Order: sequence, then structure tokens, then C-alpha cells
Amino acid sequence: MANRSAGIPIICLFLVVLVIAGCNTQEIGEIEEQVLTFNLSSEPESIDPGRASGQPDLTLVNAVMEGLTRYNLQSEIEPAMAEDWEISEDGRLYTFYIRDDVQWSNGDPVTAYDFEYAWKRVLEPEYASSYAYQLYSIKNAAAYNDPENTEVNSSDMVGVEALNETVLEVVLEAPASHFLSLTAFPTFFPVHKGTAEADPDWFTSPETYVNNGPFKISGWEEHQRFICEKNDSYWDKDNVNLQRLVFTLVSEESTALAMYETDDLDMVYNIPAQELDRLKADPNSGLVIGSDLAVAKYIFNITEPPLDDVKVRKALAKSIHRNELVEHVTKAGEKPAYAYVPYGLPDINPQDDFRKAGGDYFKENIEKARELLKSAGFPEGEGFPELELLINDSQDNIRLAQAVQEMWKQNLGINIKVRPIEWRVYLGKMFDMEHDIAAAGWGADYNDPMTFLEFYASWSGNNTSGYSSDEYDEKINLAAASNDPEVRVSAMHKAESDLMEHMPMIPVYFYTQPYLVKEQVTDLLVTSFGPQAEFKWAYIEK
Amino acid sequence: MTPALNLWVQERVNKTQMSNLGRMWLRFRRNRAALLSLVFIIMLMFLALAGPHLNHWTYSDQVLKNANEPPGNGYWFGTDSLGRDLFTRVWHGTRISLLIGLFTGLCSVTIGAVYGSISGFVGGLTDEIMMKIVEILYAIPFLFYVILLMLLLDPGVNTIVLSLAVVSWLGTARIVRGQVLKIKEEEYILAARILGAGKGRIIMRHLIPNTMGPLIVMVTVTIPDAIFAEAFLSFLGLGVSFPVASLGYLVNEGIQGIRSYPWQLLYPAVLLSLIILAFNLIADGLRDAFDPKTNS
Repeated sequence: MANRSAGIPIICLFLVVLVIAGCNTQEIGEIEEQVLTFNLSSEPESIDPGRASGQPDLTLVNAVMEGLTRYNLQSEIEPAMAEDWEISEDGRLYTFYIRDDVQWSNGDPVTAYDFEYAWKRVLEPEYASSYAYQLYSIKNAAAYNDPENTEVNSSDMVGVEALNETVLEVVLEAPASHFLSLTAFPTFFPVHKGTAEADPDWFTSPETYVNNGPFKISGWEEHQRFICEKNDSYWDKDNVNLQRLVFTLVSEESTALAMYETDDLDMVYNIPAQELDRLKADPNSGLVIGSDLAVAKYIFNITEPPLDDVKVRKALAKSIHRNELVEHVTKAGEKPAYAYVPYGLPDINPQDDFRKAGGDYFKENIEKARELLKSAGFPEGEGFPELELLINDSQDNIRLAQAVQEMWKQNLGINIKVRPIEWRVYLGKMFDMEHDIAAAGWGADYNDPMTFLEFYASWSGNNTSGYSSDEYDEKINLAAASNDPEVRVSAMHKAESDLMEHMPMIPVYFYTQPYLVKEQVTDLLVTSFGPQAEFKWAYIEK
Repeated sequence: MTPALNLWVQERVNKTQMSNLGRMWLRFRRNRAALLSLVFIIMLMFLALAGPHLNHWTYSDQVLKNANEPPGNGYWFGTDSLGRDLFTRVWHGTRISLLIGLFTGLCSVTIGAVYGSISGFVGGLTDEIMMKIVEILYAIPFLFYVILLMLLLDPGVNTIVLSLAVVSWLGTARIVRGQVLKIKEEEYILAARILGAGKGRIIMRHLIPNTMGPLIVMVTVTIPDAIFAEAFLSFLGLGVSFPVASLGYLVNEGIQGIRSYPWQLLYPAVLLSLIILAFNLIADGLRDAFDPKTNS
């Protein structure tokens, strides 16, 4: 495109879109019908399946690559590269049979060796994949990945082996019922062994990118877009309906929304909260409020006064009007949070909801909050130091923080300074414990309350509150070690109750995931973890 | 020289200055746009002081259930996304923006005039070194050190004024130096020197008053620049601390809901544009008034 060097990004984008539109009508009339444009928001950090970690990375890699299994439209696991598999009686040995007719985009067959190579590559300590822990249910994987561990020093000891071209044998540390859903996650995707060995940077350009998924990357314009075409050597190509898939990289939320509204985008995540009311009122806007497994919270640094006093922390927790926040500030149907673990996670009986079973742990009560603050030595907020509330500098975060700042001021008479900073600086400050209060969100990595509760264990690298309790750690250990759902879940309920008693953080609300999708886009699967959307079966209905 | 003579000389000089300023004012008044702008700015200053007290809301009072109300219904300019009165916030923002502009203008003139006249008057190696320093400071990208300053100091009005002041005097210093280089060769300076006036006295009594024209123009140019720079910084999130908002930040907030609640952008944006336009028109008028060539 000649317009790539244009200076002003927005104008540039519009020009590009115009050019795309122009090309389509001129070149192939048929392609124009089955093109889907999805906004990835930002440039993927890496599209090497082993290193993909952010949502843009996972979404793109999932569209162009394929693992042993894949989620189908009903969100069930179905065979993909593996035609079939056997699980041993004790649930520790998995034998996968790779399809005969599967090919890499360079024509080579996809073999069990490619999987073995890819998984061991991710586990190499020097490779340093941030998602390596996804593979830890495999025997010796955690030990091999740990650079400190000298006992398991060879990849041969890791429990994955290709017996021949089509048979892959996997030995697990312990039975893991969710292993088949893990194999649908990009970290478990195969890599073409010959290519990766010959060229370590094979994934940095579309010419050298060798893939095996429903689409293949045909164009890559940095900070603008990725263009993917249907992959004709894909084994299930008859079920792939889209001819072309375009991923735009528009990071400005309101620009993306404008592009959606002028039909330049078919699907957008990250909608500015200020526009939600209008979109909700318009039945044709295509707004969907998807569910999400994540909590918004304020993490305290409890190692310094006055936040070392649990009474102060409780006073702060009780004096936020959560209902008003979700109704008028965030507006996407979020639920106010009076406990830590979000809705949507299994209880003892997997049909039950952990949150509903656990109930609320505290209530908003301004009178009570004032009393607590008074007994902590700050009657009417007098003498309360000006604490700093650290936030990541997105617009919607700033609005939320200002609303809470004013609530604390009106209800408790205390002043909080809001400090919006850039994401990396924010993380740095938090991990150095330089914050007083930090606004944060935490989303599920897997479908179990543990993904939230382990956060506050004393050994957790993410625990930046300074909270460290032997009783809490004990409950987490008990839950992690047990296979009995009753023991596990009740230990987790008790742990959550502990946490709410000590309040190293206050939960504010449980997230939802609003997105916009055009009416004519059909059979597009939206998932609440991992990739943002599954494009394999999607098509444009005319 | 006898004291009486000294006084007489002084008197004469002052009188000439007075009549000079008077003539400039006459010329300025003839420029309709500039005069109108001046009236507008004075009116704005009054509103910036009184505006936030014209109703019972303060700039931070939030009533969340009244968020995004259109103008009317007890809110003259409507409300913002957190149910805060936009009228109060806009005038409070104007106050902040004007304050930042005026302070920066003042710093720019004070530092610039003193620095420039010393440099120009002393001349030689001192001049060389002082001007090199100005050039070096010019070379540092503005945003770069503003961000550094923000990391070191607490964000807020003070930090913004400080960081704007650090650069704003550079241009003034150069202009004043140029003027001084020219003026110091004039005969009345020679006369003052012969009469035994010290360097400080010559700078304060003769050089600076005679560079007043370009200086005043510089101020009126610096003020809108500073207001605009602050708006730009606020837009990037490097501005004043919450819940205080300058006009620039109000514009930033307004853009978030531009397609749903356009008035949130309209009021602060129009006001900001008008302020900057008015200051520029005044600067234009002053420049014409001070420059005899355009008057002929």
C-alpha cells in the first residue's frame, strides 16, 4: 500500500480501509462476500505459539494454527490434529493418534514428532515462555522448566514422546480431567520442527511462517493489520467458510468503535463505557454483553500505616457504593462484588456455583465504616494521611477511580490522590510495594476458584499486598493437594472467608465482556478465556 | 551631575515612555478584533473567578445517577460522566488554564528579560556562554523532560507551571538579548554611563523599559502557548491531579463519549479555542501597536 507512510494514524487508517474496499471490488467479487474484519486492538507481542500470551497473540495464533484438539461451536472439545485418543485407566497416560491427511503450509505432513518438539521447546528453561506452566501437568515438566532443578536436566525425562509419525504418548504427573481442553490452548500447538530448527526467527514474517490451521497469514503490515486467507491445505477446509480474515490493530477505543459503526470492522472488543448506553438503546447495534471470569479490586499495601490496620481497610471497603458504580460508571452489566471469587466457577457439585454457595462476606454500611475509622483513630477522617491510589492510565479506569475517590471523601472525609500511570511503570511500582492502594483486575487462567485464591498465598509472585498468613496458606495447600471435591471446595470457601476477614484487598465488581459484532456474522464462537474468538466455522450471511 | 539635573533627566525619560505607551494604546484601540479579544478575556477572568460559585455544586460533587444529563434540568451545561456539574467544572477549568497561562507568562518575562539583558549587555564570553546554555535547553525535547519532571514531582498545577516555565523563557531571553544589543549602542545609554550609572541600574532603568514592547508581545504569545501546552499535557494524562480538571482535561473527558454526549466536549473545546484565539488576536494587535513600521 502506498499510503503506509502517511503521518496521521487515523487518516492513514481510513485511507487503508478505503484502499482495501477498493481492492476487493476490483479483484475478486467472491472474496468480498466472505471477509471478516476483527479488531485485535494491539500488535501481538509474539505469534510464536509457544510464546503467545496476550489476547491478540492467542486469538491470531488460534486462527492460523491447530493443536490436538479444538473447541467446537458448542464449546465442547473435539478432535483436531488428533483423530482419536485413548486415556489409561488411572488417567495418567494419554495416547493421541494424529490424522494421516494433515499438512503444514509448506506441504510437509504434521507428525507426532512436531508436537513432542514443540512442547519440549516451550519447557526449555532458556526458552522462557511465560505460559510454560500450562504444560506442568505433564510428568517432569515443571522440574525440567525450573532452571534451579538439576535432577531433571534432560528433555528426555519429560513425559511426552512420539512413538512414530502418528502416535504421541503423554504421561501426566497426576490425573488431570482438563488436559484435553489444555491441548486446545496455543502453548500446546505443534511447531514445524525443520523450520524452527533451521530458522529461530521463522515466526517473524509471513513468508517463513509455517502453520497448520484453518487460515494462513498472507499479509502483515506492522501496527496496521494482519491479513489471513483461507488455508487450502487444511484438513477440514470444507468447513471453513471465510475466504479472508483481516485483523486490524486499532488501539484507540473510540476509533475502533467509529470504524465498526461505518462498517469497516465486523467485530470489536473494548468499547468505551461512555458509549454503552447509546449502544444498549439501539437494538441494531450488535452489542453483546458476554460473561467473564474476572474481578476488579483494590489491592492494599498492608505493610504500612494506616493500611496495616484492618479496621481502616474494612472502613474503605464498606464505604463504596458498588451498585452505583456498575450502573452509572462501568455500565456493562457488571455485578457488584462483596466477595472475591467471581460467579461462574464450580462448587462441590460442579453444577453449583462457587460464588452462590459462598454468598456475600460483607455489606456496605457508611455508619459502620465511620465507626471503624473512628476506632482506628481517625474520627471523621481527621488526621488520615493522603494515600495514593495507583491506577493504570486507561480512561475508564480514571473515571472509576475518581468516582471512588469522591465516595471516600463524602462518606469518610478522607482525601485520596489518584495517580494514573503507564502500565509497565504501574506493574513495577506494584511489585516493588511502592503503592498504598492499587486498582487491579484479575482474570481466570483456568476454570477453578483456585486461580483466584492462590493469588494471596504467601509464596505467590503476584501477591503485592504484603498479606502473609499461615492459616491461609494451609487452606490453599489442603485444597491443592486433595482430590476429594468436598475437601477441596470447603477449604477454598474457608480460605476466601479468611481473605475477606483480613481484607488485603477489597473486591469492587465482577467484570463482564461487552463486544460488538455485526448481525450478518454467523457461527462465530466467543470464549471467555484464551483466544477472544474462534473463526473456523464463521461465515457472513447475506 | 547634580541631583537636580539627575532628577530632571529621569523625569524626561519617564515622560517619553508614558507618552509612548499612550500612543501604543491608541493604536491598539483602533484594532477592533484585538480590543474585542481583550474585553472577552477580561470577561472570562471574571467568570473564571465567579462561575464556580454561581450554583450550589462544587467541581467535584458527584451524583452518579445524574450522570450524562443534557444541558437544562438544573444543570446549565449538563453533567459529565460522573454526574458532576459541567458548568462549574468548565469555569473551574478555565480558572486553572488561565492561571497556568498567566503564571507561565510571568515566569517567561521575568526570567527571560533579566537573563537576556544581562547576556546582551555584558556581551563577550559571558554572552557566548549564556546563549549556548539557551541553545542546549532548546535542544531537549519538551515532552521528554516534562515526563521526567512528572516522575520526580507530584503531578499537579505546580509541576506543570514549573515545567512550562523552564522552557518558556528561552524565546524571551533571545529576543530581549537582541533588543539590548541594539539599544546598548544608543547614545542615551552612553550618556547614562558617563553620568556614572551602574550596570544594574542601566539594565533595570533603561534597557528593560525600552524592550517593553517586544516583551509584552512575547507574554501574550506565551500565554496561549502555555494554555495549549497544558491542554496537550492533560490530554496525554500528564496534567493536573484529579478531581481538578483544566480545560484540556475536560476536552479529553468529553471525547470519550463524543457520539453519545456531544455537549461534554462542546463547552470546554469551544472555550479553549476562543481563549487561545483571543490571546493570539491581542498579541497581534499589540505587535502592530508597538511596531511603528506597520503604522505608517
